[in-house]
Amino acid sequence: MIQYKYFVIILLSVMMFTACGLDNYDAPQSELHGKITYNGQTLGLRGTGEAVQLQLYQDGYELRDNIPVYVGQDGTFSAKLFDGEYKLVTRNQNGPWVNSRDTTVIKLNGTTTVDVQVTPYFTISGANISLNGSQLNASFTVNQVVQTANIEYVMLLVSKTNFVDDVSYIGREDFRNVEAGALNLSMDLSSNQQVASAKALFGRVGVRTVGADQAIYSDVVRLK
Amino acid sequence: MKLKNIFIAFALVLFALTSCSEFLEREPDTILSDDQVFGDEVMIKSVLSNFYGRITWGQHIDDSYSYTILDEASRSESGPDTRQGFEDNRWRVYDYTLMRNLNQFLKGVRETDVLDADTQKMLEGEARFIRAWLYFNMARGMGGMPIIGDEVFEYSPGMDITTLQYPRSTEAEIYNYIISECEAIKNFLPENPSINAARATKWAALMLKARAAVYAGSIANYNNKMPNPIKTPGGEVGIDANLAQGYYQTALSAAEEVINSGKYELQLNKPDDRGRNFYEALSVKENNKEVIWARDYKYPGQTNGFTQINIPASHAEDIDRAYAGPILNLVEDFEYINDRDGEIKIRDNEGNYIFYDRAEDAFANKDPRLWGTVIYPGTIFKGSPVVLQAGQKYFENGEWHVRTSTPGSTDENDILITSINGPNQSNDQYVNKSGFFFRKFLDETPSASTRGRRSEMWFPRFRFAEAVMIASEAAFELGQADKALTYLNMVRERAGIQPLTSMTFDDIVQERRVEFAFEDHRYWDLKRWRIADKVWNGIQDDPNAQQWGLFPYLVNDPGNPNHGKWVFDKIKIHMSPFPRDFQMRNYYNFIDQGWINNNPKLVKNPYQ
Repeated sequence: MIQYKYFVIILLSVMMFTACGLDNYDAPQSELHGKITYNGQTLGLRGTGEAVQLQLYQDGYELRDNIPVYVGQDGTFSAKLFDGEYKLVTRNQNGPWVNSRDTTVIKLNGTTTVDVQVTPYFTISGANISLNGSQLNASFTVNQVVQTANIEYVMLLVSKTNFVDDVSYIGREDFRNVEAGALNLSMDLSSNQQVASAKALFGRVGVRTVGADQAIYSDVVRLK
Repeated sequence: MKLKNIFIAFALVLFALTSCSEFLEREPDTILSDDQVFGDEVMIKSVLSNFYGRITWGQHIDDSYSYTILDEASRSESGPDTRQGFEDNRWRVYDYTLMRNLNQFLKGVRETDVLDADTQKMLEGEARFIRAWLYFNMARGMGGMPIIGDEVFEYSPGMDITTLQYPRSTEAEIYNYIISECEAIKNFLPENPSINAARATKWAALMLKARAAVYAGSIANYNNKMPNPIKTPGGEVGIDANLAQGYYQTALSAAEEVINSGKYELQLNKPDDRGRNFYEALSVKENNKEVIWARDYKYPGQTNGFTQINIPASHAEDIDRAYAGPILNLVEDFEYINDRDGEIKIRDNEGNYIFYDRAEDAFANKDPRLWGTVIYPGTIFKGSPVVLQAGQKYFENGEWHVRTSTPGSTDENDILITSINGPNQSNDQYVNKSGFFFRKFLDETPSASTRGRRSEMWFPRFRFAEAVMIASEAAFELGQADKALTYLNMVRERAGIQPLTSMTFDDIVQERRVEFAFEDHRYWDLKRWRIADKVWNGIQDDPNAQQWGLFPYLVNDPGNPNHGKWVFDKIKIHMSPFPRDFQMRNYYNFIDQGWINNNPKLVKNPYQ
């Protein structure tokens, strides 16, 4: 009888230690890092509101829901995934670039880096943004990449955090009827109380193309 | 002993013969078979009435929050609403369950022999009308969707399910289907208005036809004028530009059929009180000549909570009150009777306050429809004024100061500081935050705002003014300027504002905005004209995208020449801190991945 009791105890403890592990996966460990580039230069984008997304698809499974990958305002993105083969595409009609849904095939094995090449309508270079009293001065060059593209407006933005885009800002001025080339623009902030009371200020310029759903931006510059 | 055995045997036989009470073979008493339903006229009617209860989508009076999403009203309840953009599934309708039920009903009604031929036709017409309305509600959100005709799908194990999977139609096809269905059934339906406009009539079918046609026409027209037209390669989204004329023609002739029917009119029972007249044309069911089809409500059982939760605090009959309030954006879009710029004049050219003897004087000579749509400060509701007073103002050391209190308190001289109605800038419940209350659809019936009863107010879906406005828009787009102007002026003259001598596209936008406020038109109109991303541009402090309020103050400064007068401050409503931001992807709802998993023939929408 005592033997029988031990047998039960051993059986139970064996079951306890072996039961788990069959149907549970470990959390994904591999990381995919990347950036969105044009001619090797990373693009400045809107990073808030899940505005710019890439889509990851994996073949071989019955359902084909994509994994959204959110792109940050510095044009970089990252995702934690299982090892395997993925297909990476830009989201349809999304982003300040020519809509092209060419697939980038990624063989993920451990940490992998990938660059997504796009053709933006415009790029911004040489952005120099400074605060002079209550006046924001910006000089930069808008380079036309796609000859048929037109500028809808150019915007100057200031924000009190380093997230600066067409939605997240405390001061903004839009300039319409602007041509590509070297630009010197300024914005008067003297009547803007939020700017006056802000402990930190960040500036950025952006260009919105007619017909594109997002603007392209310069790097964020700390002003105060 | 023998006797006992016989007795037992006898008892057993008895048991054996009676024990089978068919316990397991009872007819289910909660499920009715098709034969039972379609073998009885009353049952058929109750199935139909169930359908009428399942088709209220979009913005409507039983969902007060839906009014605060756009630029018509702002929420006053609890903390600020951080809404900025619009969801990918905002007001998305995908109800193939209802579609199947409607097709089952159609089959049953066509096969039954308990109905006379006329009733049979009428019921078939109503079911097909509801089906067309369902297709329309899907189409305006998502574009083309699978058209399944009269098919009632059955699944049996082992069958090839790909036969159940239909691909999406093109956007043009789904509108064509709606138009042709309405045309096919219009003579099945009665010509005389139904009670409280609750059931479909010939005129409701024509209205749906006209609306579907003008939607399709404007998509064909304005989508292709965008710098980057929204379309899919298969045409599920996007309509060919050269189809626009045909659609506008269809819309014009369907709308004119309603206009010339003589059954409805631009109701004008009180020409001396146009504001009241407009309210009654929409919000009073008795002897109504304006409304063609509505979601009707009836106590007991079928009531809605719009009046209950939105009634001004001073007039509340129960705990609930002041859930939401219209905003200044809408109020200023109403013109003055003789001035097209509807701005409320609160400051003169030097930036000094303009003083009004009474709060309501600031709204003198506004479009009378404003009175019928919005309760503005000082106007009458149910016989007594609705006082909206944010606080008192007094002049000291060269500038104006504000005195506020908890709502409903008075100062030491018994003068009201902040009204019980508000408005104020707190996070308190039951106090207005915008400076205005709803009047359109607010029920004046006693105890309509109590929890126990609620309101029988209806929600009009089609009304005569829409027929006139569709005719005007369609004629305008077809280049028939005189006709377009005549129809537009019909609406303006009934309202009681100056007629126009010439018109532009913006006049149509403007007129529909004020005439159909809170009637589930604004969102779809801006979408089909492809101007939603321009109006709701997401820019902070934008006059349209940001929500603005108007706070009235009483000047309480004895000795000041303006003591006892009223001044107004325009404020950014703190309950809605972010501007509305309509992005390109919001022009069409997303197709849910779950639906694609079930039916791989569905294609995704652009921007998805």
